Amino acid sequence: MCRLRDHAQGFRRRPFPDLSFFISSFRSFCQVLLGDMGAGKSSLALRFVKGQFFDYQESTIGAAFLTQTLAVNETTVKFEIWDTAGQERYHSLAPMYYRGAAAAIIVYDITNADSFGRAKKWVQELQRQGNPNLVMALAGNKADLASKKKIEAEEGQAYAEENGLFFMETSAKTAQNVNELFYEIARKLPKAQPAQAAGMTLTDRSASRLTPAKTTCCT
Amino acid sequence: MDNTTVHESHSDIEDLFDEEEGERPCYLSDEEHAESVTGAPAVSSSEMEADNVAKLSNLDISDNTQEESQVHEGGSSHEISETTPGHQGEEGGRSNDPKGLELGDGDGSAIATSSTTDVGPESTDSGVLVTDVVDGDTLSEDGIQESPGSPSSSREGTSGYLAGSGSSAASVCSASGVDESADRILNQESTRPTRRSWVPGKRHPDEDDTSLAWRKHKKHFFILSNAGKPIYSRYGDEHKLAGFSATLQAIMSFVENSGDTIRFVKAGDHQIVFLVKGPLYLVAISATEEPDEVIRCQLELLHAQLILILTKGVEKCFVKNSKFDMRPLLGGTDMVFSHLIHGFSWNPATFLRAYTCLPLPYAIRQAAGAALQDMPNTGPLFSLLMCGSKVISLMSPRKSSISPNDILLLSNYVASSDSFRTTESFFPVCLPGYNPTAFLYAYVQYLDSDTCLFLLTADPDGFFQLKECRGRIGTILRQTNVLAEVANAVRRGGLRVEHLLETKASHPVLDPKTSSIFGSDGDHELHGSAGVPREGTIGIGGPAGLWHFIYRSSFLDQYVASEFSSPLHTTSAQKRLYRAYQKLYTSMHGAGAAGPHKMQYRRDERHVLLSWRTSDFELYAAFDPLADKSSAVAVCNRVCQWLRDLESEIFLLGATPFSWCN
Repeated sequence: MCRLRDHAQGFRRRPFPDLSFFISSFRSFCQVLLGDMGAGKSSLALRFVKGQFFDYQESTIGAAFLTQTLAVNETTVKFEIWDTAGQERYHSLAPMYYRGAAAAIIVYDITNADSFGRAKKWVQELQRQGNPNLVMALAGNKADLASKKKIEAEEGQAYAEENGLFFMETSAKTAQNVNELFYEIARKLPKAQPAQAAGMTLTDRSASRLTPAKTTCCT
Repeated sequence: MDNTTVHESHSDIEDLFDEEEGERPCYLSDEEHAESVTGAPAVSSSEMEADNVAKLSNLDISDNTQEESQVHEGGSSHEISETTPGHQGEEGGRSNDPKGLELGDGDGSAIATSSTTDVGPESTDSGVLVTDVVDGDTLSEDGIQESPGSPSSSREGTSGYLAGSGSSAASVCSASGVDESADRILNQESTRPTRRSWVPGKRHPDEDDTSLAWRKHKKHFFILSNAGKPIYSRYGDEHKLAGFSATLQAIMSFVENSGDTIRFVKAGDHQIVFLVKGPLYLVAISATEEPDEVIRCQLELLHAQLILILTKGVEKCFVKNSKFDMRPLLGGTDMVFSHLIHGFSWNPATFLRAYTCLPLPYAIRQAAGAALQDMPNTGPLFSLLMCGSKVISLMSPRKSSISPNDILLLSNYVASSDSFRTTESFFPVCLPGYNPTAFLYAYVQYLDSDTCLFLLTADPDGFFQLKECRGRIGTILRQTNVLAEVANAVRRGGLRVEHLLETKASHPVLDPKTSSIFGSDGDHELHGSAGVPREGTIGIGGPAGLWHFIYRSSFLDQYVASEFSSPLHTTSAQKRLYRAYQKLYTSMHGAGAAGPHKMQYRRDERHVLLSWRTSDFELYAAFDPLADKSSAVAVCNRVCQWLRDLESEIFLLGATPFSWCN
């Protein structure tokens, strides 16, 4: 019995070096969801993090913070997501949330042309003030409402290409492309930030030690 | 009460006419004002007369008397001396808003009529009007005296607010108790409070001032800018109410132009209460018979709620651009306001300027306090642990103070949205009592389904630090069993008047078993069992017919209210009781004709109310209408003794009591 147990422990112990490698490939990064009110930011976040969807999602106040840990390409990625409120009064606070973010998802509602206009403004603002290494994604949400569509996928795609974003049409309701969107961001990150290659912690923790005043996210 | 008001208004109206005969247009009893206004009305009065004639010709006779009675009662606020500026203002508003005129907004037209009578008593038309006024008055007065239901049928015909009040008065008992159709619906089946099922949010968003249903709501709240732009309306779509807002703005600015401030207008069953807050105007139109002081406090709270969301800094926007549209800035906050307005009828904190605590064993509350206290110096400015609208514990490591109203508004803000329940949130919030010009940042998370932790910091980048603090607090609260005890306390409910039964008159001090609400856990099963022997009168409740009480500790700025017991099992009865308490509170504090009182004993057909105010506490108690006075007083003494014994469990002690503002 004793020998067996020892053996078992030994067996269990064996993968430890691998595990440490695994830990070293643990990455966590912060992303921020921006967009007009009612575009579906919270729904996207909730679908991704909890797999839930509510037909009536109450509007976010300030910003909600969600985390999700997933294995992406053999590394474990912890997504820290700032789901910001779309109301105008919170606009001036957005820098607080996107300043430290490694990725931003700009969400618009395909059935609402105004929200697409608002999304373009967010892209401009991020290009102007954000981190140059920021990975940006444009998500045309509510793809399930194809019949009421106002913004064609081609239009979103064209705008995204012009501005170096990647584009997806998503539906938080049917879960279409939601996980793909977040995975795609995770895959793009090492490319966008070669200095923080895989195997390193891709947080702003290291950065924040150098410039603590600048980062708010992911300390 | 009704009778007296009507009598008063009658005599006031006579005064009014007397003054008219003296050829002085009495826009205000404030003489200066009246003089300053004299020039303008002569012009507008002729217009107004034309309007009235046009209008009256469209109405049948019953409507006429109707209107006149309204006019007449509009005059009644003359006693408070601010009516007539309202009349004048209405005229201005009406000229801005011809739509309201042709559709015969009952309120506006009534007031306009009265100003006609004020201004042009010589004209034959208005002479007729005056006699009509008197008729109308006797009619409504008789009606009220004899049976509250009968005049309402004659009132039914008018358009506008009066129609609303008429129809709801027809449903007799619910009239004063229910001010909202949503509640009315609940009311029909519910035998116990269904507040939980109440969902905050905009009601009847499709209505506007042209729809009859909109006019029938018993209590309207409006926020508008001093340029007349609608900012918030309790009912209906703000954009569609632009014309109506302009009318209100015209009334207010008319009076402001003469260097005065309009406070309220009484028009029939309705009173219109105004509050000016810098560039913002707040208006309530209510048929709920609440004293205007109470409504003004409610407007103050609405304004404070707005400041909580946007800070006073928003006023600068109006300096830059007087036509600034504030609607977009308040996007998605309808439910915050509607939740607060709902609280005006349900939450005593809205008029007591005090907060209430969840009853908890002393040791548990201490443990909760210790968990909140254990913070780094750079940590939160305030930490607050709440369960629903009740405080579990409150700490300010840096000895800053937070006012009870700020607690109310903050918890209202968070309770009104379910979006906080699922995630950690971090958002800017301004505590008007602490600093109305700056934002604090609030970290909010629900630790379980009821318990919510608030951590406030001045550091906009403080999220991760507060998140860490929350982790630590959560661990300690679980280790010390606080969360489980809180869940128990929620299940157990608050104080019950039936528990007073435990004490025999011969025992001046409660025996140790019952002196703790936790020792008598099973007792509330007694509640509802009619056969409990008890001194005093018939009815179920506490001894001597005690139904309910609210006790407010002046030093702690905290109050405790008993749970509703069986005689008060309908929402309308409970609402009526709160309204009665509000009136009582006002008369105990007000500097009105009666002045502040030390003790009051009032009996009406629904309850006996006893209030008692000392330097340490205020007690408001409601009894069975047949309760005996001396035994009621004795029971009040016992309640006070009982609460003093329970003090450590029902109040949060030692939380920097003297540093509270307010």
